[in-house]
Amino acid sequence: MAPRENSHEPSGTPVPVETGFATLAQLRVGVKAFVEKDGEKRKAEILMIQTRRGEPKFYVHYEEFNKRLDEWVNADRIDLSREVEWPAPEKPDKKKSASTKNEKTTSKADQKSLKRSRSKLDRELSIASESSSINAPGKASRPTKASGKENQELLVTTEITDGTTPKPEDEEMDLVDVQDAAAAAKAVPDQAYSREDEIEKLRTSGSMTQNQTEIARVRNIEKVQMGKYEIEPWYFSPYPIDFVDVDMVYICEFCLNYYGDVTQFERHRSKCTLLHPPGNEIYRDDYVSFFEIDGRRQRTWCRNLCLLSKLFLDHKTLYYDVDPFLFYCMATRDEHGCHLVGYFSKEKESAEGYNVACILTLPQYQRKGFGKLLIDFSYLLSKREGKLGSPEKPLSDLGLLGYRAYWQEIIVDLLMDGRAEANIEDLGAQSAMTTNDVLHTLQNLNMLRYSKNAHVVVLTDAVVEARERQKAKEKIKGRRALDPERLSWKPPVFSAASRTWNW
Amino acid sequence: MTQRVTGQRFRQRKLSTKQNLPILRENEVEQLGDDDATRHIPKVETGVEKGEEIEHHLQAVISAAQAASQGGGKIAQLYIPTPDAVASKLQYEDLYPRQFTQPSTYIRFSSTVEDTIGCPYCMTSEDAAWLKSYNQKKNKGVQCSEEELELVINFFEEATLEKQPYADVDNTPVLTYEELEALFDERIPEHARRFAKDVYVHWKAERERRLNRPLMPTLKFEKNLDTDDSDPYVCFRRREVRMQRKTRGRDAQVTEKLKKLRKELEEARFIMAQVKRREVMIREQLALDKLIFEQRGEVKETKRRLSIKGDDEELLINQKVRVPLDARKTPFLTLLQPAPKPKPRVDTQALQRGIPGMGPKPPVTRPDGRLVDSDLVYLDDQLVKKSEIIDGFIEENLMKHQKWNVGWVDATWRPITPPLEQPAAKSDFRRVFTDSQLPTPPASVSSEEVGDAMAVQQVKQSEPRRSARIRFGTPPDDVPYQDQSRYRRRTGRGGRVMIDRRGVKRPKLDNDPIDERMADRWKFAGDSSEDEQIYPVDWTDNLHIRYRIMIERQGEKQHAQHQAAAAAAAAAQNRRAIENHQRSGSGHLAPPGAGQ
Repeated sequence: MAPRENSHEPSGTPVPVETGFATLAQLRVGVKAFVEKDGEKRKAEILMIQTRRGEPKFYVHYEEFNKRLDEWVNADRIDLSREVEWPAPEKPDKKKSASTKNEKTTSKADQKSLKRSRSKLDRELSIASESSSINAPGKASRPTKASGKENQELLVTTEITDGTTPKPEDEEMDLVDVQDAAAAAKAVPDQAYSREDEIEKLRTSGSMTQNQTEIARVRNIEKVQMGKYEIEPWYFSPYPIDFVDVDMVYICEFCLNYYGDVTQFERHRSKCTLLHPPGNEIYRDDYVSFFEIDGRRQRTWCRNLCLLSKLFLDHKTLYYDVDPFLFYCMATRDEHGCHLVGYFSKEKESAEGYNVACILTLPQYQRKGFGKLLIDFSYLLSKREGKLGSPEKPLSDLGLLGYRAYWQEIIVDLLMDGRAEANIEDLGAQSAMTTNDVLHTLQNLNMLRYSKNAHVVVLTDAVVEARERQKAKEKIKGRRALDPERLSWKPPVFSAASRTWNW
Repeated sequence: MTQRVTGQRFRQRKLSTKQNLPILRENEVEQLGDDDATRHIPKVETGVEKGEEIEHHLQAVISAAQAASQGGGKIAQLYIPTPDAVASKLQYEDLYPRQFTQPSTYIRFSSTVEDTIGCPYCMTSEDAAWLKSYNQKKNKGVQCSEEELELVINFFEEATLEKQPYADVDNTPVLTYEELEALFDERIPEHARRFAKDVYVHWKAERERRLNRPLMPTLKFEKNLDTDDSDPYVCFRRREVRMQRKTRGRDAQVTEKLKKLRKELEEARFIMAQVKRREVMIREQLALDKLIFEQRGEVKETKRRLSIKGDDEELLINQKVRVPLDARKTPFLTLLQPAPKPKPRVDTQALQRGIPGMGPKPPVTRPDGRLVDSDLVYLDDQLVKKSEIIDGFIEENLMKHQKWNVGWVDATWRPITPPLEQPAAKSDFRRVFTDSQLPTPPASVSSEEVGDAMAVQQVKQSEPRRSARIRFGTPPDDVPYQDQSRYRRRTGRGGRVMIDRRGVKRPKLDNDPIDERMADRWKFAGDSSEDEQIYPVDWTDNLHIRYRIMIERQGEKQHAQHQAAAAAAAAAQNRRAIENHQRSGSGHLAPPGAGQ
C-alpha cells in the first residue's frame, strides 16, 4: 500500500495538509480529490469506497455543498490529474494495519448482497471502535443533553455587545476531529471481526466512547417510495439495517410503516385501514388539515414519522424517544385519504421557549408554499398559547430561508399597515415572534438604520417592492393562508406526573 | 469600542427594543455609508451551523436576497438544489383505494398504528412463492390463505421474540415446533393452526437463512450494550435511563422515594389483606348465624313433634343485641345475652368502663350458639358476684391498711402508690365522671372511652368505694385528686331537690403567671349576681345589736372611737366565719363559676 510512502511521518498536531498525486488504487476514505459535479470540478472528500461488479465506487462529499448532495461516483469522475489531499496522519501503531485494507476491499468485491453488506457494516462498526482511542471523547455528533431536545445542541444566540464571530479555534477543533476520525477509520484492519476481539477491545481500552460518525455520514437508504412518489433520501436515517441492501424502501403513506419488499408492502396496503394521521384534527380549511399527534400515545406512528423525516433533516437526532413531543401534521385531502405533506414537532414543554423542534415539508411537496403554512401554523399555535416562539436551532439552510421569507412577509405587512412608528417588542407580540427574530429580520433586510441621532425603521423600496410583487402573484395564483377561526385547539396541559414518568 | 475605532464624534445610543422607532421610507432617510449605518446594531446570528453557513448554495441564495434588499432590481429566484422526487411507477390507485369520506366535523382519532394495520407480519415474495407451491399440493378444500400464513408466521415470530429476546445476538437455535406448539394461544386462531406444522418448515428455513433474526426488519433499540451510545442505528432511547446516569445525587433521592413508596404500598396491601380476612370472617359468621337459626327452627319443630312443653326462651338467647357504638369495631362478637334482661348488662359494661385503664372487657361470647340449658348461670349474675368478691377483698385490705396507717401521716409528694384517702363510705358524695371537666383525659384511659364529652356516667350506688379509690399511680398534674368535684343530691321538703357539691374549682388560667395570687385575692369575692353588700346574718347573734348600740353611742360619746374600731374588726371576723361555713357546708347551688 503506497500512499504512506510519499508522506513524511507526521508528528505533532496541526500539520499542514499533505498533498500529492494518487492512483486510483491509492484512494481511500478521507482523501480529498477533485470530482466532477455538474460540469465543474469540485473538491470532495471520499467517505466510503465500495466495489460493485469489480468497479470501485466512491461516496463523496463536496466541500461547501450541503451533505444532501453527497453521492456515489464512479472512478472516472475523479480527477487524478490533480493533486489530492491526504487525510490527517494517524498514529504509528495503527499504520501497519492500514496496509491490509485495500486488499480487503478488493477481495470483498466478489461477495454478494447480504453477506457483503453485513461484513461491510461490521467493518464500519469496527472502524468506529478503533477510532475511539484517537478521538477526543464525545466531540462530534453525540447529543449531550438529556433534556427534551430533538435537535442537537445549538449554538445560539445574539451577542448584543459586540458581534464577534464564534471563536475560530472551535471550528478548527471540529475539523481536526473529523479528520482524525477519518484517519482512524481508514486505518482499521478490515478482516473479519470476531466477537472475542470486540470484547477484548472493550475490556482493555479505557474509553468506551466510540465515534460512529462515519456511518452516519453516508446515506444508507437508496430510494424511498411513498404515495405517488419515489424520493431520493438526503441523509442517513436509522431505519432497520437490513434496508441498506434494498433498492427501494416502501413507506405506507398513512401509517408510515416501512417495507423492504414490494410484496410485503402490497400485502400491508391490503390490510392497513388508516386513512389520515392518527390524531385529532385541529384545523381544517378547503386546502389543508392539521392533526395533532401526541408522541407518547402514538409512539409507533411518530417514530415512523421521525425516521422518515430524518431522511431529509440533517440535524435531527433520533437519539431519544418521541414521548416529549407533539407532532402537528399537515395533510391535503382527497378520496384516497389525508396525505401527509409536512409536519413540525414541538416540545410539550420547552425550556427555551421554542415553538418548533423540527419542521419539514416532504420533498415531493416542496416549493409549493406548504412550508409557509407550516410556519404560520406554528405561530398561530403560539398566539393561541399567548407565548412568543422561535424555531429550535440550528436551522438548516432551507429552514433559514423558509423562516426568513415568512418573517419578512409578516414584519413588512405589519409595518405597512399605516402605522407611523414601530416598537420591536410590539411587533414580536403581534406576530408571536421573539424580539430576537424580529431584530434579525429587520437587520437582515437592512431596515434598521441610524439617522439623525436616532434609530429608525426604514421600509426600503426593495422590501416594499418585493411585497407588492408577492401580492400581485397571490392575486393571480390565489392566496393560501390559514384562518385562525378554523383552529379548534386549546393548549394541551400535561400533569407533573406524566412529565416525570412518561418522558 | 467600535465607536472609538471609527472615530465618530458622538456616541450612538444602544438600540432599545421597547422604544418606539419611527417608520420611514427610504427617501426620508439620509443615505449613510453602509458601514456606519449598521455597525452599531448587533449582528443577529442566522441560527444555521457555522460549518453550513458557508455552504455554496445557501450563500448564493442569501447574497441574491441581500442584493435584492439593497435595491438591486430583479434577480432570478434561486433555489437550493435538492435530490429528486419523481412520480412512482407503482399503481397508486390499486394500492390506495378511494375509500375516504370526509366527516363533516373535525376528525377525532385515537387508535394506534398497531390497531389499524391488522396482522403485523406481511408476506414476502418468498412466502408467496412457497404458499403457491404448497397450495398446489393440497386439495381445494384445505388451501392455506395468505392471511392464515401471515397469522401463523406472525405467531412464530412473536413467540420467538418472547422466548429468545436476544436470538439475533447470541446465535441460539431456532425454536422447535414442539416448543412453539406449547405456546399456542388466542393469537393463532383454530383455522390457522391446521397449517402451523407445514408453515413451520418454511418459517424455520427463512429464519435460518437470516441467522435467526426476525423476518420483519426491526429498528435497533438500546440493548444496554456499551456500543449503544454511539451506534447511529440505535434510536429512540428511553430518557429516564439517561437521566439516572447523569446525576447521582438525584438518583439516590429517587431511590429513597421509591423505597418509601414501596414500603407504603406494601403496608396498604397488608391492610387490604387484613380487611379481606375480616370480611371473610364476617361472612363465615353470617353463615353460622344462619345455621343456628335453622337449627333452632328444627329444634322447635322437634319439640313440637315430641310435644315438649316449656318456654322457648332458650331459643331466643342468641338474639342479636344492638352492639354499642364503640363495640361495633369488633363486629364478630356476638353478645350472648338474654334478651329480656338487657339492663344489667349495660350497667356492668358501664361499670367496667368506669374503671379507667381497664378498657372495655369484651363480654364472654359463645358464638357457637348451642342451645343453653335452662339452669344456665347468667353471666351477669356471675359478674356481679365476682365483683362483689373483689370489692369485699379490696374493702378488707383497705381496712387493714388503714389500721396499719393509724397515727401516720403520709407526706409523700406524688407517690407512686398514692395514699389511700379516708374512707368515703360514710359520705354520700360520689364522683362525677365527666370528661369535659377533666382537662386532659388520663393517659391510661383507652381511646374508645373518650366518647361523648358531656356524658355523665353515673356510678352505681353499690360501687362507690371501688371507683373512688382505685386511682392512677400518677394523677394528672393540673388536677389534684382532691380537686375532683363531687356532688350529692338531696331531696328536701316539698320535694325540693338540692345538689351539694365539693371540690368544684374555678378553672385555672394557665397563661397568667400571677394566677395564684389573683386567685387568692379574689378568693372570697365570688362574682355572684347577688348583691355583695348583703351579708348573711345570724340573727341570734347580738353583734349587730351591739354595733348599732355602738354607733348610737358614738353620737353621744365621741371618745368611745377605739371601741368602735374593735367592733368593726370583730364584724369582719364574723363575716369570714360565715363564708367559711357556707363553703364547706350545705349552701344552695350557686350559679356556675360562683364556687370558690
